Amino acid sequence: MPYKVVIADDDATQRIFASSVISRIGFTPVLASDGLEALQMIEASGASILVCDLDMPGIDGHEVTRRLRAADLGRYIHVVMLTSAGQAEQRRLALEAGVDDFMTKPLDAAVLTARIRAAARLVDHEQVLSEKNRALQLAKRRIEHDLNVAAAAQRRLLPNLAREIRGCRFGSAFEPSAYVSGDMFGYYQLSEDRLGFYAVDVAGHGIHAALLSVAIGHLVTAQYFADKAGAGSNQPDPAAMVGALNDRFYREDGTDYFTMFCGVLDQRSERLFFCQAGYPSPILARRDGRTEVVGDGGFPVGLLATADFQNGAIDLAAGETLILCSDGAIEAEAPDGAPFGEDRLRGLIAEHAHKDVEALPGAVVTALADWRGGRPLEDDLTVLALGRSTPA
Amino acid sequence: MIHSHIQSNGICVIRPDGDRLTALGANAFRQEASQLIDDGSNRIVIDLSEVRFVDSSGLGAIVGLLKKVGNRGEVVVCGLTDAVRQMFRVTRMERVFQIYPDAGAALAALDG
Repeated sequence: MPYKVVIADDDATQRIFASSVISRIGFTPVLASDGLEALQMIEASGASILVCDLDMPGIDGHEVTRRLRAADLGRYIHVVMLTSAGQAEQRRLALEAGVDDFMTKPLDAAVLTARIRAAARLVDHEQVLSEKNRALQLAKRRIEHDLNVAAAAQRRLLPNLAREIRGCRFGSAFEPSAYVSGDMFGYYQLSEDRLGFYAVDVAGHGIHAALLSVAIGHLVTAQYFADKAGAGSNQPDPAAMVGALNDRFYREDGTDYFTMFCGVLDQRSERLFFCQAGYPSPILARRDGRTEVVGDGGFPVGLLATADFQNGAIDLAAGETLILCSDGAIEAEAPDGAPFGEDRLRGLIAEHAHKDVEALPGAVVTALADWRGGRPLEDDLTVLALGRSTPA
Repeated sequence: MIHSHIQSNGICVIRPDGDRLTALGANAFRQEASQLIDDGSNRIVIDLSEVRFVDSSGLGAIVGLLKKVGNRGEVVVCGLTDAVRQMFRVTRMERVFQIYPDAGAALAALDG
């Protein structure tokens, strides 16, 4: 590929000689008779090679090079400096100023040809790299854009972050570790007296986990919940819904699975029927400030074909709050590697339980950010709080 | 990366490298251990005594090995530290895996 080569020399004879050599090898010479003109020509012509005499009136070769290196031209200018024999100290200064190569005057046509071709190879290489870099930047911007769109789509799938359904208030926080989350949650009214809610945490995080969490989010609608977990007059059976999900997502050859906690709150009996499927035990804050850990574990979903899932039940009276946190909370590590842990989470919740359920998830998120010492979370985090309102 | 040692009686003891078995290394752990199964090991002891933290991906890798061996052999675990034991409890894996205090006890039980 032919290049423009700026030749800067105050000696017209040298200029014309260099110009004819450069023309002969198919490159385009651009002539400048001093340093300032050389700088203007580089900018105006788009040249990437400069052959520059060291000693020139006005600004000399060192200064031309320094100004080139300080300028933001968007391309690298390969500088070949012409010096007289015996200017060893000048060459050292020139290297420091940013010169790439030297030639001794008087110019020799064969040597100049070889040096210009060598410079052209480097310029070629630089252009290939910069082209690749541009392509990578473009691809990165596209991927980031897609991820942001995906993250917004996932958020749209979530219920409102805070809402009241028939005397039960929900508050939540949803914090993906990167763009999209392997967590998902939902809550809805199932029947006159019953509310259903769930939270899932897909093993792993990132896009792979998010694809599954979004699939679950689409599948587990209010209708699905009511059909599988029972919204009629019978005792709710959230374990049946978890079993149905296990049948659906278990694969003999797969390693994908998720943990889940789901519950049906019967407002009339003030009983919460739940199924804990490997999800961390929620914390129940009683009205008097005591906290309790709910559930003693259960198989995760999609991990084992033969897993059996069980229902549990607790009383959930007016004024009491249940808080679900994905394992990103208890597993969050301080800079020294200490996990936040269940005891600290319980203490935190006891301290904030008197607050509105709308404010509680944010308090957990803030406490974990402090615990992390400002480092971003390594795992997705979800906090879902439901509080039964006290009768007016 | 894993450290593995095949005993004279054919039982293979696998120890994950490092003190964490998480999303970062779980896949490599599963692949390397799967290779041992492909190479003929079907009585496996997973020694977790050096592991202080297993996340959901790590658990998936361990269960993956159990599924791979299936009825052809046995996969047991040993040396569960507190956090790992808690993880096994919450996910009921204590009902899925035989758990031993250390590799010696696991080997004695598998050989018995």
